[in-house]
Amino acid sequence: MTIDIAAASIEQLAANQTGLIAIGAGLAVGLAGLGSGLAEKDIGSAAVGAFTEKEELFGKGLIMTVIPETIVIFGFVIAIMMLL
Amino acid sequence: MLKPKQMSKVLLTGHKDVLEPTIEALHDLHALHIEEYVGGDYFHIGTPLTGAEDDSKKLLKLRSIASFLGIKKPYTRPINAHQLSSELEGKLETLGGVVSGKLERKSQIETDLKDVQTGMHEIEAFSGIPVDFDLCRGYNTLHVFAGTVMKGADVRAGLTGITDEYQFFTGNTGVFILAVPVQYREQVTDLLAEYEFGEVKIPAISGTPDDLISELKGKQDTLTKDIESLYSEIDSVKAEYEDFILASEELLSIETQKKEAPLVFATSEHTFAIDGWIPDDEFETVRSKVEEATGNRVYATVVEEPVEEASVPIEYDNPKIVKPMEAVMNLYARPKYREIDPTALVFIAFPLFYGMILGDIGYGLILLGISLYGRSKLHGEGWNSLFTILIYCNIVTLIFGILYAEFLGFPLAGLHGHPGLIPGWDTIPLFAGLGGEMITYPIHRTHLVTTLLVLTLLIGVIHINIGLIAGFRNVLAKHGMKAAVLEKIAWIVLQVGIFLLLFGMMGVVPSMLPGAVIFVLAVIMLVAGEGGTAIIEIPSVLSNILSYSRLLAVGLSSIGIATAVNIMSGMMFESGGLFIIVAAIIFILGHGLNTALSVIAPGLHALRLQYVEFFTKFYEGGGRIYNPFGYKRIYTEE
Repeated sequence: MTIDIAAASIEQLAANQTGLIAIGAGLAVGLAGLGSGLAEKDIGSAAVGAFTEKEELFGKGLIMTVIPETIVIFGFVIAIMMLL
Repeated sequence: MLKPKQMSKVLLTGHKDVLEPTIEALHDLHALHIEEYVGGDYFHIGTPLTGAEDDSKKLLKLRSIASFLGIKKPYTRPINAHQLSSELEGKLETLGGVVSGKLERKSQIETDLKDVQTGMHEIEAFSGIPVDFDLCRGYNTLHVFAGTVMKGADVRAGLTGITDEYQFFTGNTGVFILAVPVQYREQVTDLLAEYEFGEVKIPAISGTPDDLISELKGKQDTLTKDIESLYSEIDSVKAEYEDFILASEELLSIETQKKEAPLVFATSEHTFAIDGWIPDDEFETVRSKVEEATGNRVYATVVEEPVEEASVPIEYDNPKIVKPMEAVMNLYARPKYREIDPTALVFIAFPLFYGMILGDIGYGLILLGISLYGRSKLHGEGWNSLFTILIYCNIVTLIFGILYAEFLGFPLAGLHGHPGLIPGWDTIPLFAGLGGEMITYPIHRTHLVTTLLVLTLLIGVIHINIGLIAGFRNVLAKHGMKAAVLEKIAWIVLQVGIFLLLFGMMGVVPSMLPGAVIFVLAVIMLVAGEGGTAIIEIPSVLSNILSYSRLLAVGLSSIGIATAVNIMSGMMFESGGLFIIVAAIIFILGHGLNTALSVIAPGLHALRLQYVEFFTKFYEGGGRIYNPFGYKRIYTEE
């Protein structure tokens, strides 16, 4: 009986670990995404304001807006590394 | 390709007698970008040719007619310009007469309608009160109140304490009319004030409210009918004259453009001088054509003097197939004169990245269909470029779709015992990839994450270094070899250093020393070239390269959405019965949404890789638009 419980708990432990890794990976992408979003919301609204005034600024505005997107890409890379 | 068109600064001088044929010839050639003359000591700004004012007036009239009729710009068959110009005057006169009559009638009807509506609004408050308005005024012994009181207030009950000599009427809207002998006026006013009395003005007309309302309603109906018939008349005028208006607007624009051209020329008492830019390869044609038109009385010459880069107008010089990509460039900035024009590079990299991200036969086919249809239906340069770019992108998407064997998120080939969409087609393992993964055909992106991640980073390294080499060429042309090496080559050296260090860490090369030495060397070069701030920028090499992992990441998220839609609708479908319809709805809506996302997400991300990661390595942009003197005829032909 004792052995059974031990075996079961080792299995349980392994399963828990996989679960925790998955949660970690999710947090990595999710929180990084939030970070990107927070950064982009301000830049994005400013960029929209700028290019309604001057249409030529669209390209530059887009670049400025998407710069923080790299943050979520970092999150993604980390998540992949955790899962593998 | 890779360079904007080479331009020559030219000067055309001649006698004022031949000004008109010169303008005529230059306008037809559509090649000279005229530099505006701003005035000086000896020369002065030219005066417009005769008839310019007249033509502008006609143009103004025509445009106001066009805006009244609400003419949009459809593509029609071009009208012969000579025939049009001979009948323009008369036809414009007739059209003007017809339209001004209609315009007057329209504004008259609109005013009447407004009056009726205002009157109605005044009277409607009294609807249901059976009293002629005439009976409500002109008394010496009576005072008439008209208005409303707060909800629940009983005026009659209040009046009992004051007098019972009164007349009280209420209508449908809560407005009442109350007449009391004039001696009770103060008391009644006080009473009503308690009830929050709001006065409503009694209209100064005769008749009972209900009669008046029905009369006004009748009037309103007639006016509405009138205006509707007027609109249909306007529509028929529009249909009849639309082609004429569009064509003559164009004709008059061309005429005014020609006649007002001297306003940007330098002139003296007897001569004129035109300063401008012509593409190198067109100069001879322009010279011979202008000389021919003026009997050799105009002298055209190339001004041989060092030109300032910022002053040269920029015309792209790309093969026809690359042209649509110029829209992507214009969105960012037109290249400068001595800079590499990266349109051709974007033409390769943008569709490649887009296709690599999307890589799905189903979405590729849908979007290819939409863009082919859109290109045939929507005209205009902007739409044409957009749809052509989408076509390029989705052709590449199809190629990658075949490579990945994906159809709307379903794998076409079976893997590990899970059957694919095509029965009997099983994935073939080819050779071992990275991290214990097996490279297969078709490539299953979800099962080859490590290998593909490294591959995308490799693409990033290649793309960024192409940018750095282009940057090297730009700096070399502007600031010489030393600056070019220190500012651009140093970044390439830095990457070599980083990779050697990494290989050293992984044990691929025996020591980390060479890597470290090269790294330090690169940092010294950078600091020498760009100053101390370069140290802050060093990590950007890594973040730029890592940024290319989106080529995998965005694709995976698209697969994720498609798979989720497929699983949901699959579960519904298996439940059978009515659920099959629900399954179909989920399937169509889900994939519709994902198709829309498939334009936005891969498009924006592929674009961003060009603008942020690639262009920042070499591209400045900010060139002036080459805008040659002339006109692109759409509605008329010579």
